[in-house]
Amino acid sequence: VTARRCDVLVVGGGLAGAVAALAARAAGREVVLVRSGPGATAWSGGAIGVAPDLDALPTDHLRDRRSPLESARRLAARRPDHPYARLGVAALEEALAFAGAELSAVLEPADGRPRFLAHVSGAVAECALCQRSQAAGDLRRLRGLAAVVGFSGHLGFDARLVASGLARRAAAGGPAVAAVEAAWCTAPGEGTLDPASLARLLEAPGRAEALGEAIRLVLPAGAAVALVPPVLGLDPAARVPERVAAAAGLPVAEVVSDPPSVPGLRLDAAILRRLLEAGVEVVHGALPPGGGPGKPVSVGGLELTAPAWVLATGRFLGGGVARRGLLCEPLLGLPVLASEGGAAGVRLAARPPLALTVRERKAAQPLLAAGVQVDATSRPLGEDGVPVHYRLFAAGALVGGHEHAADGTGLGVAILSGWLAGRGAAGLSGD
Amino acid sequence: VEFDLIILGGGLNGLGTARDAALRGLRVLVLEKGDLGGGASGSGSGWLRGGPRAFAAGAGPGDDPLAAGEAGVLEAIAPHLVSRVPFLRPFASRDEGDALASGAPRLGAEALAALEPGLSPGLLGALAHDDRAVDGPRLCVANARSARDHGAEVRPWTEAREVVRQDGRVVGVRWLDALTGESGLARAPAVLDATGAWAPGLARRNGLALRLRPGKGVHLVLAGRLTTHALAFGAVDGRALFLAPRGGETWLGATEGGFYGDPDDVEATQDEVAYLLEGAAALLPAVREARATRAVAGPRASRFEWGPGEEALSRGHALLDHAAEGAAGLLSLVGGQLSTARAQAEAATDAVLRALGRPAVACRTREVALPGGETPADAAALAAAHGIAPLVAARLVARQGALAGEVLRLADDDPRLGLLLCREEGILAAEVVHACRHELVRRLRDLRTRCRLAVGGCGGLDCARAAAQLAGRELGWDAERVRAELADLLEVGWRERRAVLDGAQLAQEELLRGAHWGVGR
Repeated sequence: VTARRCDVLVVGGGLAGAVAALAARAAGREVVLVRSGPGATAWSGGAIGVAPDLDALPTDHLRDRRSPLESARRLAARRPDHPYARLGVAALEEALAFAGAELSAVLEPADGRPRFLAHVSGAVAECALCQRSQAAGDLRRLRGLAAVVGFSGHLGFDARLVASGLARRAAAGGPAVAAVEAAWCTAPGEGTLDPASLARLLEAPGRAEALGEAIRLVLPAGAAVALVPPVLGLDPAARVPERVAAAAGLPVAEVVSDPPSVPGLRLDAAILRRLLEAGVEVVHGALPPGGGPGKPVSVGGLELTAPAWVLATGRFLGGGVARRGLLCEPLLGLPVLASEGGAAGVRLAARPPLALTVRERKAAQPLLAAGVQVDATSRPLGEDGVPVHYRLFAAGALVGGHEHAADGTGLGVAILSGWLAGRGAAGLSGD
Repeated sequence: VEFDLIILGGGLNGLGTARDAALRGLRVLVLEKGDLGGGASGSGSGWLRGGPRAFAAGAGPGDDPLAAGEAGVLEAIAPHLVSRVPFLRPFASRDEGDALASGAPRLGAEALAALEPGLSPGLLGALAHDDRAVDGPRLCVANARSARDHGAEVRPWTEAREVVRQDGRVVGVRWLDALTGESGLARAPAVLDATGAWAPGLARRNGLALRLRPGKGVHLVLAGRLTTHALAFGAVDGRALFLAPRGGETWLGATEGGFYGDPDDVEATQDEVAYLLEGAAALLPAVREARATRAVAGPRASRFEWGPGEEALSRGHALLDHAAEGAAGLLSLVGGQLSTARAQAEAATDAVLRALGRPAVACRTREVALPGGETPADAAALAAAHGIAPLVAARLVARQGALAGEVLRLADDDPRLGLLLCREEGILAAEVVHACRHELVRRLRDLRTRCRLAVGGCGGLDCARAAAQLAGRELGWDAERVRAELADLLEVGWRERRAVLDGAQLAQEELLRGAHWGVGR
């Protein structure tokens, strides 16, 4: 076991942990990040939603929609439990710009306007930042005819379903759409591959070009962009979207998919690469319970000691919050709340699941929004409402009050809380 | 439209009678307000020889000759839907053992520990019993398909609004299609009410009297096979419960209690879940660590009796004639159990023929195989012939029997249908398409019982959207409808999981909610 000291220890390698590590690193700190495996970021759709415009109607023109920052402000005003309200949204713009720049290998630069991307279900996903491979599909910016392209050999993506879903947005400023089918995935067995395998297949020389050619052959007259299943390679260095576009003769964009989605895996891989580039030491392993700022902890053959910690361990999927009869934070035993709203004496976290959920699936579910509570600098609070330790921070889905996977704010909260936690851990925050 | 017989209710009583009556040459219409087997038939335990009740004091496997005979018939006409289940009933004291059924073979403590090493220490031995289990939902589908093959018209998602009478006789039924809003009057001189838990409400709406003992049964589904044998045991209050491996899961059940709520809205409660888990964990400690994936609740309806508790109620059936209430030609088939459903249907069909004044025609449901039961299917051979994984073939054969070949030929003709939607349950795109074409599927949620779509621990993570697309293509849904059906499917699953969300299942739920964020918005 090698003893190792660093300035900041980040636990968790999803978007929140990565932004925290990179923010502390940018401030010149020596950072070690411990990561046990892919978490909710890898399982995301790969586009970064910050705040959906809750007041917008589907019929409102896309051009008139509020900016993600304005939507976040409104959300914070309306939901005092939400991390945007607890952390404040003042730093959100700076945090987003930082994350966009750090992950520019995969992310398209933001311009402050919301992006609207087609989803495989025919719905439209609103986001603040999207991947380069998705950018040409932004319905607000798109001019001309969008061709939704299915693959003849593959039933996993229904171009007509996507097209008919998008057609309903035409009155709100969405593009004209047409569904076509390209003769691809026609070799034996190819059509039944999962998306990640198809993505790897396209990285091989000649395959992306062949797909582009197949798309070109079926394009309707006047097509301005081809919207395709999200399988355009896992490694941005393989330049699959660019190669397909060149062969097809028009811009190509991936639609957003449900996980496991290639853009989610691509984002996760890009995060890992960026951490290494930036000089963050990444240790693979799971931290044992206990530890904390200033206390040594053993992981991956190292005995790590850091005066500042950032917990970005996720929610149930990441293991940051667990429930075995009772809700708990397994690593440091931090108190977990489930929508108590800070009311004195109310402890909902001990209640059974039926008491913490509502019957309507689509409604907000307190049990699934459970997490630790933080102060304005993203430090987790103890039972007494006071930060547990002045150099212990929490970021991402571990922070409760939002349903990160389902309310459209998950990755936005990851970036904001990661940014605040990373800067706080680096000693840059106000107090 | 003219029929000889209109059957209300698409459970096993209704569908079994439809098949029987169709085989005897009657023109039959079945009206079911929801999906086939949506009541007790689809949510029962499925035991053919008593299950945990076979060990009750004074009981014995030979106690119910009708059930014993019917189990044999079912094995002959639908072998793929019946599985042999060796049952053990451990006991901890001599007194407990002596109080159980005396006829069953007994095992000593050592033999029991060797067979089921995970049991709590301190057990003295066990009684053994050889039971059979039937796949209730699939049995309903097989009966529906058989009825239709023999000329019956089966209309799921079509509600019987009113039994129309004239001069003291029934003349037909007004129906309403729940999905299209279409309505009409179907005419027939005989109507059989087989709506089970819904019968009292239906009778009330038609100015008739029908009393039943309504109940509710809850099963808990745990991920993985926790035991090799089915185990019978007593809960804290002595109620007979069971824990049995099924497919890749373990089923734990069943609470049974009176239920005077809305039969359309039956859900497991926290107390029922905890009661089952506590009871089972006392016998098998691993239950505490197991991942509960859902709680299946369904309504029951037994014959009316004043006095006896839920467990002591008769499982027998009764045929009620409403002629004295000014509804000659209207019969109600109430109560009964899954294991004797074929015999119940035979009795009901005999009664219908008498009510119609028709000559008696011999019943043929003992001899004619149910669809899929015609010839034995060889999963290994199918796997090899069609190039699919053995597990996929085995699961498919368990659901489809001899029709598995019909499903796999779809994928041979169109290789895209070889897409595996669920590795765990072995659901091929071809099976979804096949169900949409041949198994009376009208909604996406119907596929839960057709091919176990989205009922596993994952809740439909990978399969739900792809299946919605496939069903949409087959059934001509537009994008709006596809999304609505997907939202509905997820809603049903959510309601089954809500009461058991804990441990790893919560991580799964987080994943699922993220995956389907766009659905229903």
